[in-house]
Amino acid sequence: MSDASPYRGPGSLSNIPRSPFLIWLNLALTLIVAAIGFGLGFAQGLRAQIVILYTVISTAVLFWLLNYVAVIFESRQFGEPREAAPGVLPVTAVRSVWAGNRILIVAMAALLIAYLVILASVPEFRTVSNLLAFLLVEAILVFAFKVSRAFAHRRSAFIGLIVLVALIVISSFTIEGFLSAANIRAVLLFASFLGIACVGQTLVALLGGLDLSIPFVIGASNIGLLYLIGLGVPPWLALLMVLVIGGAIGFLNGVLSYRLQGQALIVTLGTGFATAGLVQILTSIGSAFSGNVFGTVPGWLQNLAAMNGRTFGLAIPPTIILWIVIAIVVIVGLRYSAYGRYIYALGGNRRSARLTGVSEFKYWTLAYTISGVFAAVTGSLLLGWSGGGFIGVGDQYLFTTLAAVVIGGTSLMGGHGGYGYTVIGVLVLQVLSAFLIGIGLKYEWQQFIFGLLILPMVALYGRAAHIRSQV
Amino acid sequence: MSGPRGAQNTYLLVPILLMAVLLSTAVIRGPSLVSLSGFGSAIIVAAPLVLATYSLMALAIAGRGTVDLAVGPLLAFINVTIVKLNGLDLVTSPLAVFVLALGIGVIYQVLFALIIIFVRVQPIIVALSGFLALSGINLVILPRPGGVAPEWMAAWGLGNTIFSPVLLIVLVATAGWVLFTFTSFYANLRMMGYDERAAFTSGVRINLVRIGAHVLAGLFVGLGAICYTALIASGDPTQGTTMTLTSVTALVLGGVSLSGGRGSVAGSLLGALNLFLIGYVLATFNFGAVQAFVTQFFYGLILVLSLLLTLLVPVIGRYVFFISPFSAFIVLGCIVAGIMLHVSTAGSFAPAPAGEQASAAASDLLKRYLLLPPSEPAGGGGLLTLTPLQQTLIGLAAAAALFTFTLRMMVAEALSARVGAFLYVFVSALILLLLFVVAEQSHAASSVGHSDVLGAVP
Repeated sequence: MSDASPYRGPGSLSNIPRSPFLIWLNLALTLIVAAIGFGLGFAQGLRAQIVILYTVISTAVLFWLLNYVAVIFESRQFGEPREAAPGVLPVTAVRSVWAGNRILIVAMAALLIAYLVILASVPEFRTVSNLLAFLLVEAILVFAFKVSRAFAHRRSAFIGLIVLVALIVISSFTIEGFLSAANIRAVLLFASFLGIACVGQTLVALLGGLDLSIPFVIGASNIGLLYLIGLGVPPWLALLMVLVIGGAIGFLNGVLSYRLQGQALIVTLGTGFATAGLVQILTSIGSAFSGNVFGTVPGWLQNLAAMNGRTFGLAIPPTIILWIVIAIVVIVGLRYSAYGRYIYALGGNRRSARLTGVSEFKYWTLAYTISGVFAAVTGSLLLGWSGGGFIGVGDQYLFTTLAAVVIGGTSLMGGHGGYGYTVIGVLVLQVLSAFLIGIGLKYEWQQFIFGLLILPMVALYGRAAHIRSQV
Repeated sequence: MSGPRGAQNTYLLVPILLMAVLLSTAVIRGPSLVSLSGFGSAIIVAAPLVLATYSLMALAIAGRGTVDLAVGPLLAFINVTIVKLNGLDLVTSPLAVFVLALGIGVIYQVLFALIIIFVRVQPIIVALSGFLALSGINLVILPRPGGVAPEWMAAWGLGNTIFSPVLLIVLVATAGWVLFTFTSFYANLRMMGYDERAAFTSGVRINLVRIGAHVLAGLFVGLGAICYTALIASGDPTQGTTMTLTSVTALVLGGVSLSGGRGSVAGSLLGALNLFLIGYVLATFNFGAVQAFVTQFFYGLILVLSLLLTLLVPVIGRYVFFISPFSAFIVLGCIVAGIMLHVSTAGSFAPAPAGEQASAAASDLLKRYLLLPPSEPAGGGGLLTLTPLQQTLIGLAAAAALFTFTLRMMVAEALSARVGAFLYVFVSALILLLLFVVAEQSHAASSVGHSDVLGAVP
């Protein structure tokens, strides 16, 4: 960035206003805020190192923010930063700034108001770390809005990542021990369960379908596996049988919904319902405790998924490694294999793909079969995690798999997206969930917030064209 | 296509047939259905499901694959709100409760419509979002089932009479939709559901039409929630998912096209009643501890099968176009009503003493089915003079004549677009007769104290 260029684009990150007055003004403002934070920190009785560290970080961030704002104003030849009486500015210029950054300004103002309101009403909220978190979130907002224009193609993934970073920042400041190894391991473990369950949902969504049988297959494989083990079948054989049956259910889903693609949602819901019922009937026959299955989970399965599981001596549950491997295979496979390319071709334009000789039936059923297999894998892993069979173990996956796919940015109409996006969506959901648990919200509030979160996320990139432009 | 206009209703044949089979099975397996309290409680149990299905139907006809998965949680939301506000003594009067229930339903659905129209997100995502948010907030409002419904509602849920306010609500909702189908707004709605672009280019104000469909759906949900509150007489935040699944199944079973443009109140009503009867029939087979699982299994199975059947509708329409669904309904209805009458009255008449069997049987029949005082058998006249062979022949001839007549009527009906007034009168008369007989039986049972003999009729 040379100072020779008269205009600095909004995307540039190293911003120093040309006018010395602005620099000094910004520095003064920054120092005042930092001093307030410094005083607050000591008043709170934190350790000196922490206060100093926070003060330094907040000073740097605030200085960068103010300079950024100043440069935007300066480059449009206002001569004064926003802090200095905007009333004297020419009306047209204000209007153009407003038009260019409408959403950003509204979002920042809303955040500021929210912060001030909470600050005024909750005395415990007046801490250095909260101030810092607030400033960081404002910085992330500016960054997201200014840089996302460079990512027109992968906008959803970019927004997802920004949200993820913002969530991690906020959580680590507000929740004690959020970045501890144990918590990260827990978040990743639950993310891997959800992520493995989402493999099939992503593939099916890429084809323009939906699979709502996943939670039922998870629950059914969960109790089915334990039942088979309880019958005396060798655990590895039982696992294999469960996976094959899961695949068979998926195949059935695919065959049944092939002619009813608009209603794949309802078909899979029906098969899932029937599957869960049938498996419960079968496992209840001859048992005095209907609906409950008892048995011993083999040690290797427990080690595979339990929180204290070890991979080759490392203190990481093998499920996380498994998820990473699966994610790499699926992402690479979708990108480079013929199978993956054909899925995108079919999702993008059914008719042209068929005319180039891609068998629609084959890929449709295959995607559903894979979905069934991975749902069964998740169910089996959850058995290892919990150590006891329970049909309702998959219930929360009914909508979280969908939500993860949608938040990641895979279009439910098919043809756009991929498993990489879903991974981001899964992480966002899990970190958000951990954050909500951390601040003491109950499960029902979490569900409420998840529900409200999906809409704006989809609205950011998943909007359909107006009917006027479709005619 | 195959010419005759009657073929447009062919999709109703399947639910009608299923209805006849299920109703007969239900009556034979659990005869207590045919009594005042049996019918009364059946109506009250089925009413929320029927109204939820209507709500889904209004949205499904509007097209774009709108299946409002949030219908169950929304119903539960209104339910827990009523109960909660009643507990706080804020909303207790009937008018206030109705305004509250309908208002919440309409506001939610209008919001739904506005999001679809202006944010332009797929309806299924909005529905999903609403499902999660509402099921969450329901548990916040009422963490576990409990609370008390408004006092004036207490008598509604007893189910000891057929003509309860709940039946009135269902009838008003049904009649309202039937009247609505005569408006041009409905024509626009169907057109939009069938082909939104065509509707737009031909000048239909599709945004307005869509909002209208959602308002209707909201009204139905509100009424459904009131019926549900009357049924359980308390608040229950947990039943939303089940209600969604069953009402979607009922919708599909009733032949409403999920891709929009096709659907009728008759189909939805039949679908919902079928689903209720499936539950009833399954409950009469005593599966013991696995009962819930069996029910779940069958619901899923029936959902899938009825979806697959919708694939067959065009085929059925091509080959069976000469049968009018409404006539089939009447014929099957007669048969089922006969079975019901037989079952409900069989127990109340002890076997006639031997000796005067024939005349006793005849008078029995007359008394049992037509409620006429048996005419005194006059010495040698009437049936007794005929030989058995002649009796058989006459009987066969009568049956053949009846069969031919009904067949001709069915074919004739199939060719007309709308059902004639005669059929409406006939059906109403049939239903009234049935209800009258059942009421008589119930009263007789309760007043004379025949309950030991009856067994069937409580």
